Amino acid sequence: MLNSRIFRTISFQLTALFCLIFAACLVALLFTTYLTTYAALRTQMQTDVRSQLNTLAEEANSDGVDTIIQDIKERTVSAKNSGFYFIGDSSGQKLAGNIDSVAPVDGWSEGTVGEATMAKIGKSPDEDHEIWGQGMHLPGGYFLYVGEDPYRLLAAQESIVDSFLWSAALALLLAVAAGYLASRGFLRRIDDINTTSIAIMDGKLKQRIPVRGTADEIDRLSANLNRLFDSNQSLLESLKQVSSNIAHDLRSPLTRLRQGLEEAKARPASNNSYAKAIDNAIAESDQLLATFAALLRIAQIESGSRKAGFKDVDLSRLFERVAEAYRAVAEDQGKVLLVSVPENVHYFGDGELLLQMIVNLVENAIRHTQAGAQLSLILNTTEAGPRSIIADTGPGIPAEQRGRVFEHFYRLDSSRTSAGNGLGLALVSAIATLHGIQLTLEDNCPGLRIVMAFPPQK
Amino acid sequence: MTKQTRTVDKMTAPDVRVQPTEPDSAGRQLPGTKSGIEKARIPADMKILIIEDDARMADYVVRGLKEHGHVVDHAANGKDGLFLAAGERYDALIVDRMLPGVDGLTIVKMLRATGNQSPVIFLTTMGGIDDRVEGLNAGADDYLVKPFAFSELLARLGAVLRRPPISQTKTVLRVGDMEMDLLKRTVTRSGRAIDLQPQEFKLLEYLMRSEGRVVTRTMLLENVWDFHFDPQTSIVETHVSRLRAKIDKGFGKELLKTLRGVGYTLRAE
Repeated sequence: MLNSRIFRTISFQLTALFCLIFAACLVALLFTTYLTTYAALRTQMQTDVRSQLNTLAEEANSDGVDTIIQDIKERTVSAKNSGFYFIGDSSGQKLAGNIDSVAPVDGWSEGTVGEATMAKIGKSPDEDHEIWGQGMHLPGGYFLYVGEDPYRLLAAQESIVDSFLWSAALALLLAVAAGYLASRGFLRRIDDINTTSIAIMDGKLKQRIPVRGTADEIDRLSANLNRLFDSNQSLLESLKQVSSNIAHDLRSPLTRLRQGLEEAKARPASNNSYAKAIDNAIAESDQLLATFAALLRIAQIESGSRKAGFKDVDLSRLFERVAEAYRAVAEDQGKVLLVSVPENVHYFGDGELLLQMIVNLVENAIRHTQAGAQLSLILNTTEAGPRSIIADTGPGIPAEQRGRVFEHFYRLDSSRTSAGNGLGLALVSAIATLHGIQLTLEDNCPGLRIVMAFPPQK
Repeated sequence: MTKQTRTVDKMTAPDVRVQPTEPDSAGRQLPGTKSGIEKARIPADMKILIIEDDARMADYVVRGLKEHGHVVDHAANGKDGLFLAAGERYDALIVDRMLPGVDGLTIVKMLRATGNQSPVIFLTTMGGIDDRVEGLNAGADDYLVKPFAFSELLARLGAVLRRPPISQTKTVLRVGDMEMDLLKRTVTRSGRAIDLQPQEFKLLEYLMRSEGRVVTRTMLLENVWDFHFDPQTSIVETHVSRLRAKIDKGFGKELLKTLRGVGYTLRAE
């Protein structure tokens, strides 16, 4: 379980770094605590010693040296008094006290006393025991010294260091454990992402990275990757759909082509019927070529490369051109094309493609309506940008099929037998997508109404 | 067809071949050339260079053009093509866009840069929307996307070969007893005024400018409607029949003729 990969994870490295910083903080804290407690205890000790010294000195001044000699003797026998005392005359001879000798120097001194002294005062011989104290000369050449054992201070220092060391060790241990656990969790989630990606590469397109719902970074990354996989999958599926549609839709004309040629070959006939068979074959192959051309054109539009060539397009003029070209065509088929186009509507786009889009929609309306139908081509401007409506009073498209008519080769059952390659609306959809135009199919009651909402520009 | 022999020929013979002028001895005709009248109307004995690396395609075009009485040279790569085009005077060039050596676009640009004004038709599989604009901008006169009907190439060749020497200043066009005044936007035949819709006027203007030449459906779509795609409805047929009803009905002699499977032509016999 404990594999070396964990130590190479970012989370472990981060944890280790934080541990180091934490340790450094700990050391700094230790150092300051150590110094401040030391200083505080030392000051307290000094105050204590000085107050005793002063009391004794005042006593000596008021009541004479003999009084304090007596006092010191009492103090040194008292068990609850832990202090050290010395009083000597001007020659340095000890008069009273529990210390044998002391250098007759005024002021604070810190030093070590020997084992003998310690034994004498009933303390266990210990290198740590010291006597810190202060001496002063009294009138008459007497020298008075009061000292204390700083054992408590040193012990406190030691315990501070000890506790810090322990807590540091514990913290370090916890940090390593936490880092390890965190890294393991992190690693497991990264592994999830890796195994899912590999599975998808291996063709298991439906696999997804488990998402915990915690909305953390990895969760969001996983969710985004899942969304990427979703769109890839749907793209792949539509691609599969398109290619199987192509295969299916091209097979029928190819079969017809082959059958026609076979028939012409099998049946000995006149030059005239051969010519007819050849004409039919040419017509079939032209239809196939047209289908391929349309597919290529859709692919080219979908690649988005045409966007670079966008220019200002006079939509009004463009609609007029379509209207002029198709008014007569509609009329000849007993249909009416009503046109309502205001002047001077401009749009930034690809004029040729927009033209083809409108042409395809108008042709669609002409081809899929019965004689007597009324077609309208409307352009107007709204707050949100230009809007166009192409409506007819034909049979319309059932609501449940409206979403599918923009698919490649999709044809309504009713129009399956009429001419066309089933790519007209797919081309329209590709052009609309390129321009960001929103296409909606509505019921014209009766008939079909296609609304094109051009997105606002600048 | 003599595809096999041509392929062998190409492998052994040098890339640059100057073809004899006699039409195909077999006398076979290519699709869309059934009409004898039409054949006579396309200028014969023109010197044409085709730069095309696809041997079968080149053979198809060379044979067809020879059959129509043209002198045809063929270059199978860009370098030879450029060499021939720069060295000899041709009435028209048919150039493939994707060629080994120097590509078609560069050939045309270089020819135009050196002042060579021979009409050029691009013949290419690059049928993208931008490709056409790019080709025309390079200085080509027309752009034909493969696959194409031979009659289409022939009609377009006819158009570029006889392109009037920029006589756009002419304000009155005449074909037989029909007259079009471009300034007044009026049309008369035998002195009788004919009322035309704007689209019909444009269509007739183009046909009159192409008098005697074959114009195909695609040529009309491109030049009259500026449609560079194939509509699914009979927009050309509709307008042609309406125009015919106005200019020919009741005048006895028919000016606007339909060449079945090829296109239309306007001429006073």
